[in-house]
Parts: sequence; C-alpha cells; structure tokens
Amino acid sequence: MDVQSIAMTVNGREYEFSVGTRFGQVPPEETLVETLRRRLELTGAKQSCSEGACGCCTVILNGDAVPSCMMLTVDADGADILTIEGLEDPATGQLDPIQQAFIDAAAFQCGYCTPGIIMALKALLNKNPAPTEKEVDEALSGNYCRCVSHYHVFDAVRDLIGAGKEGE
Amino acid sequence: MKHFDYARPDSFEAASAVLTAEKGSEIIAGGTDLLGVLKERILPEYPSKLVDIKHIEGAEGIAFDGSTLKIGATTKLTAVAGSEIVKEHAPLLAQAAYSVATPLIRNIATVGGNVCQDVRCWYYRYPHEIGGRLNCARKGGDRCYALLGDNRYHSVFGGRKLKTTPCQKECPASTDIPAYMEQIRKGDWDKAADILLQANPIPAITARVCAHFCQDRCNRCESDESVAVSHVERTVGDYVLENAARFYAPPAAESGKSVAVIGSGPSGLTAAYFLRKAGNKVTVYDSKEEAGGMLMYAIPAYRLPKDIVRQQTKALAAMGIDFVLNTQVGKDIAPADLEKRYDSVFYATGAWKRRIVGLAGEELTTFGLDFLVEVEKWFSGRLGDDVLVTGGGNVAMDVAITAKRLGAKKVTMACVESRGEMPASKEEIARAEEEGVVIMPSWGLSKVVEEGGSIKGMELKKCTGVYDENHRFNPQYDENDKIIVQAGTILMAIGQLVDLSFLDEKYQLQLTRGGLIAVADDDEMSTSRPGIFAGGDATLGPATVVQGVATGRRAAWGMCHYLGVPDCKGGTWTGATRNAFITYDPDAAQKTEPSRLKELPAPERGIDKEDSSSLTREEAACEAGRCLNCGCYAVNPSDLSPALIALGATIVTNKREVPAEAFFTEALCISEALKPGEIVTAITMPSVKGAVAHYDKFRLRDAIDFAIVSVATILKAEGGKFTYARVTVGGAAPVPIRLTKVEEYLVGKALTQETADAAADLAMEGSLPLAHNAFKIKQLRTYVQRAIMRLA
Ligand SMILES: Cc1cc2nc3c(=O)[nH]c(=O)nc-3n(C[C@H](O)[C@H](O)[C@H](O)COP(=O)(O)OP(=O)(O)OC[C@H]3O[C@@H](n4cnc5c(N)ncnc54)[C@H](O)[C@@H]3O)c2cc1C
Ligand code: SF4
Ligand code: SF4
Ligand code: FES
Ligand code: FES
Repeated sequence: MDVQSIAMTVNGREYEFSVGTRFGQVPPEETLVETLRRRLELTGAKQSCSEGACGCCTVILNGDAVPSCMMLTVDADGADILTIEGLEDPATGQLDPIQQAFIDAAAFQCGYCTPGIIMALKALLNKNPAPTEKEVDEALSGNYCRCVSHYHVFDAVRDLIGAGKEGE
Repeated sequence: MKHFDYARPDSFEAASAVLTAEKGSEIIAGGTDLLGVLKERILPEYPSKLVDIKHIEGAEGIAFDGSTLKIGATTKLTAVAGSEIVKEHAPLLAQAAYSVATPLIRNIATVGGNVCQDVRCWYYRYPHEIGGRLNCARKGGDRCYALLGDNRYHSVFGGRKLKTTPCQKECPASTDIPAYMEQIRKGDWDKAADILLQANPIPAITARVCAHFCQDRCNRCESDESVAVSHVERTVGDYVLENAARFYAPPAAESGKSVAVIGSGPSGLTAAYFLRKAGNKVTVYDSKEEAGGMLMYAIPAYRLPKDIVRQQTKALAAMGIDFVLNTQVGKDIAPADLEKRYDSVFYATGAWKRRIVGLAGEELTTFGLDFLVEVEKWFSGRLGDDVLVTGGGNVAMDVAITAKRLGAKKVTMACVESRGEMPASKEEIARAEEEGVVIMPSWGLSKVVEEGGSIKGMELKKCTGVYDENHRFNPQYDENDKIIVQAGTILMAIGQLVDLSFLDEKYQLQLTRGGLIAVADDDEMSTSRPGIFAGGDATLGPATVVQGVATGRRAAWGMCHYLGVPDCKGGTWTGATRNAFITYDPDAAQKTEPSRLKELPAPERGIDKEDSSSLTREEAACEAGRCLNCGCYAVNPSDLSPALIALGATIVTNKREVPAEAFFTEALCISEALKPGEIVTAITMPSVKGAVAHYDKFRLRDAIDFAIVSVATILKAEGGKFTYARVTVGGAAPVPIRLTKVEEYLVGKALTQETADAAADLAMEGSLPLAHNAFKIKQLRTYVQRAIMRLA
C-alpha cells in the first residue's frame, strides 16, 4: 500500500523516482509542476496561481491537458507526460505548428501563460484536429492571460486550423 | 505544502481501514480541491497521511443496467460530461459535470471529490500565509466574517448554525440567545419567551441583575459593541410577567411525586419552576417573610424593584407551587422530617453569613449585607456623614451607592484589589463613581480606629499584590504604608459565607465539604445522600443570580431523573437545530451603537425607584436586529449536488446507501456527513429519459467562480400542462435546496409565462439577501422562468 518508487515518461524519456523524505527522494507532497521545474529543469510549465485557476502550469498527461500544480507527482505514477519542451522535433529543432502559429501571430506578450495555452491547444488538436471556435473557447477556458493576448491567440488558432471553420 | 505520508490501497476496505486506524488521514481523489486546502493550510488539523483511492479497482466507470445508472466515485468529470450513457439517462448530470470549473480541472477531478469538496467562502479559504489565519466559525473560531463583510457569494436563504455561539457558551444558564433574538425579529414574542424560559424561568429578574457574561464574548465586540442582550432579555422578561398566566400555567398532568425546595432565592425558584413543570407537587420553604431570598432582601430596589420579585413569585405560586414562609429549616422543621415527608429535597439556602476578618474593633462595624436587608432602619440618618465601605465586589457597590443615596455626605470605598482587578462589573463601578463614591483601590484593612466604643474611622494598609505566583488570592501588604480614613460608619462588604448550621450534625458530616454543600460533578447537583440535591450559593459560595438559575435547573432535572419523572426539561428547544436555516437582519445589523436603557439622572435616583426603564418592544426588536445569529452563511459549492438531488440519486458508500438529499442537507459540512472511515464509492440514480432537464449556472469567470446561483430542473409536460417537476437550487443556501413548493405548484399548470412568473415568485419565497447579494435572487428568478419557458 505504501509507495516506494514511481516511474513516468516525460517528453519520451523515462524517469524513476524513489519516494520518501530523504535527500533526493520525491516526498509525497511534491506537486508535478515542482518536479518538472526543479528536478527535471523543464521550466516551460509555469507555476503562477498554484490553485488550478490560471492554466500556466498545463501539461499533457496521458493525452489530457491538466494543471500540474494541482497534482501530486506520486499521482502521476505510470503517466506519459508531455511538456512544451517536448513539442519541437528533438532532431531537427523544428517547432510544433502551434508554436510556429503563435510566433507568426505574435500571440503573446510576456509569454508567461503561453506554454500552458499551447499545451491545452495541443491536447485539443490531438483529439479533434478541426475544432469549432466554441470548442477552442471551451478548451482554453482554464487558461488565463494577464497581458490580454487572447485575441491574438485566437488569430493564431484560426491561422492554424483554417479560416473555413469560423462561425460554426 | 507541508509534509504528509501517502498510501495507495487497492480496495475500499483497505482504504477505510487506514482512515479508521490512522487519525489525521484523509482521502485524496483528484486532489483539485484538497491540494488547495492543504496549500492554504485552512484545515484545523493538517492531515498526516493522504489515502489515494484512484487505484482501487472498479471505483471508476459508468454503467447502466437497464434501470439504474451507476457512476464510480473516481470517475473523472470529463468522462461524466462526455458520456453518451449519462447524456441519455441523466442529461442534467452531464450538464452539471460539464459546468464544473475548466476542462483542465475536469480532466483530473472526480465525482466523489466533487460531492465531498470543502466550502468556498473566500474568508474560509483565506491563505494562512497572508497576514495570518482567518479563524472563522467554520474553521474552529467563533465569528463569521461574511456577516458584516463581503457576502456577495454567500447564502440568500439564511445560514446554518455550526455550534454553540460564544454568547450562549458564556451564559451560565446557557440561554440560546440567538434563537430568541431571531423570534423577536420575526415578531413572535411568545416563542422568544418560550426559548428564554427553557433556560431561565425568571428572565425579568436576571435581565435586571445579571452581570451578562454573554455580552463579553459577543462576536460584535470585535467590530463595534456587544448586542445589549440584557436589555432585550429585560423586555422579554417584562412581557413574560405581563402574560404570566400563559407562561406559568400549571402542568397538564401530575407526576404523583412531591418535593421540597429549601430557600426561595433564584436557585430555589428556578428549581421549583422546572420541578412543577414536570408535574411534581412542589413546596418551597423560606425563613423570611417574603419569598425571593437575596432578590427580595439584598439587591437594592433601585436595581431590582421588589414588585418585580413579587410578581415573579406570584406567577410561580399560580403554577401550583406552595410557598411556606417564616419557616426555618433546622428550627421549625428538621431536615430529617423533610426527607421523610417528601420524595426529594433541594437545598438552596444561599450565603448569608458574615465573614469575620479578625480586626481590632471589628465588632463595631456593620455587615454590609445586613445593611442592605435592613435598609429601612437606616433611613433615619443613622448613617452619619462619613461612611467607609470595604470590599470591591458588586455587593460593595450596592452598599456604597445605597449609603450615598441615604444621604451620607462622603462615601469612601476601599478594596485590596487594584482597579483592574476589582470583581465588580465596570458598569457598577462607573455608576458608583458617577454618584460620588470615592474608590480607593489597593488598600487593605489594618484596624478600626475607635474612641470610647464609637467608630472614628479605619486604618488601611497599602496592598502590594492580591494574587500570589500560583494565582491564588493571597494579598500582600506594605505594613509601612498606612493611612486613616475618617468614618462614623463602616460597612463591611468583603464577602459572605455559607451558613449550614441548620443542618444537624449527622447531615453536616455527610453533606458538606469546605463550608459548602458538596454536590456530584455530574450536572445533576446531587449530594452524597440519595434524593437530596443542592444548588446556588450554598454549593458555590457567594456567586451570581444566573449561576443560581443554572444550578437550580440542573438540580430539577437531576431530581426528576432520580424520581423517574419524564420530560422535565420542558421540551428542549429545537427551532435552531442545525437543519433549519437561521437568519439575521442585514439592515438592522449595520447599526453599530447598541440601544441603551433610559436612566434617571443622578440627582433623581433614590432607594426605591428603579434607576432605568425597560426598552419598549419596538426598541428591543431593533436591538435584536443587531444580533448576527452567528453561524455560517457560506453555500455548498458543488455543481453535482443540486443535480443529484433533482435526479433522486443515491450516494453509495462503503458503509451504507443514502439518498442524495439527505446526504447533502443533513450535515452542514460533508466531513460531518461521512462517518469515520466512510468513503463514497459510487453514485446511482434512476433514468429520467423523456424529461427536459437543464442545469443553468451563473458565474463570471469559469476558473475561479463557483456557481453563484445554479438551478437544476427536470420537467415533463403533456398536452400543454406540466406533469412532473423537480427543481433544485445550488449556490444560494448553505446546502443545495429543493424547491418543493415550486414543484408542487407546477404540476397541472399550463406552459405559460404566467406560470413561469408565479413559479419564480414561489422560488424566492423565504429568501433573505445579505447586504451584497440581492442580485442572486434576480438571477434565481430568471433561471426558474427560463427553465419553464423552455417547454412553452
Ligand atoms: C479552479 C477551480 C475551480 C473549480 N470550480 C468548480 C465549479 O465550478 N463547480 C464545482 O462543483 N467544483 C469546482 N471546483 C472544485 C472541483 O470540482 C472539485 O475540486 C473536484 O470535483 C473535486 O474532485 P477531486 O477528485 O479533485 O477531489 P479531491 O480534491 O481529491 O477531494 C476533495 C475532498 O473530498 C474528499 N473525497 C474525495 N473523494 C472522496 C470519496 N470518494 N469519498 C469521500 N470523500 C472523498 C477528500 O478527502 C477531500 O476532502 C473547482 C476547483 C478548482 C481548483
Ligand atoms: S460564511 Fe462560513 S466559511 Fe465563510 S466566514 Fe462565515 S463562517 Fe466562515
Ligand atoms: S451577535 Fe448574537 S449570536 Fe452572535 S455572539 Fe452576539 S449575541 Fe450571540
Ligand atoms: S499555476 Fe497551475 S493553474 Fe495556475
Ligand atoms: S502573455 Fe503575459 S500572461 Fe499571457
């Protein structure tokens, strides 16, 4: 019943952590965003509100976008996790089309919320490559941007999935 | 987050075993609520271990077996919202699940966690780290910050009582103060009186003389001033006496037992009332000419008019209580005879004996209590010009003020305590000084100064400290710092002793300890002799009127218990039980100044005329309006709960199956609805195919605004008329509520705008918006109308 160790795949790479309170171990109270940022130095996911309300910490876990600040790392045992660092092609450095669309539409200002928004969108497009605007709206409803870059985000999405879907 | 241990059982049995065995262990499902709670450290006790239930086999999943839809507790909200099965058989639930938070949260949040989540009052959730913990009533404190604060997200149907309020806790008689204040606000004085009488049968008296401990801890003290409880009580007390025949009616049936009450002070009168109410034959003995004890003889009439005491004893006599006066137990009738003659005996003989200090010349001084009892004898100017009163308690204040009012030119009061330590109430000290009494704190008694057998004054010595390091009363003096206060009369008010010499030797040996009658520590006031009970000052030493009331009531219950007489509690008040919503008046509560009694100006005050007059009933009602009816006014945050109630769902746990309505409404906090080791394992519900079901939810921002108001409806119509209706509301009351009146109204009504309007009016019935949330009621109306018009 007690958990001695956990394993997970992050951006295609396997990790195993020993669970406990000794030096180097993952204590049960560690959240996933802390593990990603502090242990794996994957600082793309941002910790902002820490209460599941802003979406800056969004990563994809077993295919679903989740707030990594509201999850214990021990709860991600066995999970397959994708963070913004895992989007670009590791060999060529080619950006994911979503990333490119954001750059093209300048869909950010300070950029703090951007990795989270991109991951939420990525999860949506993986399941539904041609979402309606309403579906995009809904999928991004947990991602907040203080810089009011939302309009540009929607421009980027429109560029990405084609103007034909507008108004559906 | 602070550290906790973590366990991952693979069955509900194993999980429950951990929860039961390890105190401080808590369930974690998706963690979307719990982690917030842990990060902000808002729980009174931080859990030591989390028990993860997500790996339990069979706990996740959605199934329909032909009649019942079953959803496992760890099923994710995303799955519920998207499930074709749920959409078909319980579309309302799919909608409610879809409305929860954001897709990010729904991807990890579970059904079980949603219905068990903690409340979302922002005061409650105030982060521990920022400026310290806000210990509201729900978090173990006493006070609700929302009542006079930002309550835009709070209940519009009243609050819920969490626990005994601090005012009631402080009241020795544990009067349910907020409950009777609420009845006064509603204009129901009879019910208010009933509630008060259940704790205290002599409110007109206590209201005038009690030191009202309740007011010291009133939650309003933190924002302005305490509710003037004693003033309101006084008006209710007067009302009770004005309608004495109704409130002191003889019991409906006789118990066949007879009891004797020795002493007719507050404790004796109280015991007599409750004993008689239970149907016993009650005889009250008193050595004095009139009943009332200290109330009649010691407390000055300017504070407690004799007439009030007479009205009170007359009312009690009309219940069928016999008063045998001018009869001294021990002289006129022996305790052993009483015991033979009655089935049970209650001793409440008070503390009337003079305390002798052992000063030189003390025999020339006068006992303060005797002075008050025999005050008429002093009318004649016997007092002289200069009077010294010794003592710093309320009796000393009564003595000093009486002396002043009798015409003494100079009244000096000396007490060993420093000003802040004086036992008298602040009001009494202020009154004495207002009337010109000179108070000399920190002076102890040295000797009486006499000349040929007549008093010239008192030598005092400086008191350097009253309490020793063990906080025991043990005054220390500076023998080199002495002064003489000139006085022709010295009134000693340094406390009274209990005189038990009326008990013969055998009784004294058996009943007394340390100069008091010893009673068992069991709330029944029984002595070591079966059938003999005692209360008031005789068991406590000089205490207070309200402690007399409290012990008298307990003794009456104890005696009934002993006699096997049922229901002597006079029907415990249940109006303010946790099930009912409690209300306050948000407008009246804004008043920061308490009502004050009209007092005679100092020069007009006398010995016989009452100094103050009672509040009128309107004024008292206005003061009752300041009572906040302290409880919790937060709303249940879950979106699934109102939907599940509308659907007639059942909450299945590892221990039982509970209808959703009972599960969500019987206890205010879900943590209390669950028994130790209990885990929600699934939720089941019948299919409601063919109905029009909707979950309408109002909020501003998806991520952080929970339902500000939500309305779950299941409606069926045939031939232009409603045939079935279920309407529940979330976000508007402490628990999700079913609008049964609306449901009943709708069936058989036409699908028209008029029906929608009338239903909306009914939905608002009983609503009571707080200062900042009236908008919720409008929203509620709109949703009810909209739901109905969808079918039109
Ligand atoms: C930003 C944000 C917005 C939100 N908005 C909404 C909203 O609009 N509407 C809404 O309804 N909710 C909302 N929530 C609350 C959210 O829906 C709940 O947090 C979630 O459903 C709880 O599920 P969980 O599995 O994460 O519960 P957990 O956090 O794991 O548990 C919650 C509580 O329930 C107990 N518990 C869990 N499972 C069980 C069980 N099977 N038996 C007994 N006890 C159990 C836990 O011990 C804990 O005390 C929001 C939360 C966040 C963070
Ligand atoms: S409404 Fe309830 S939770 Fe909020 S401050 Fe008042 S007592 Fe606390
Ligand atoms: S406001 Fe009312 S209920 Fe609250 S402590 Fe004061 S008297 Fe009691
Ligand atoms: S930091 Fe995780 S949702 Fe805001
Ligand atoms: S770009 Fe700054 S928070 Fe969104």
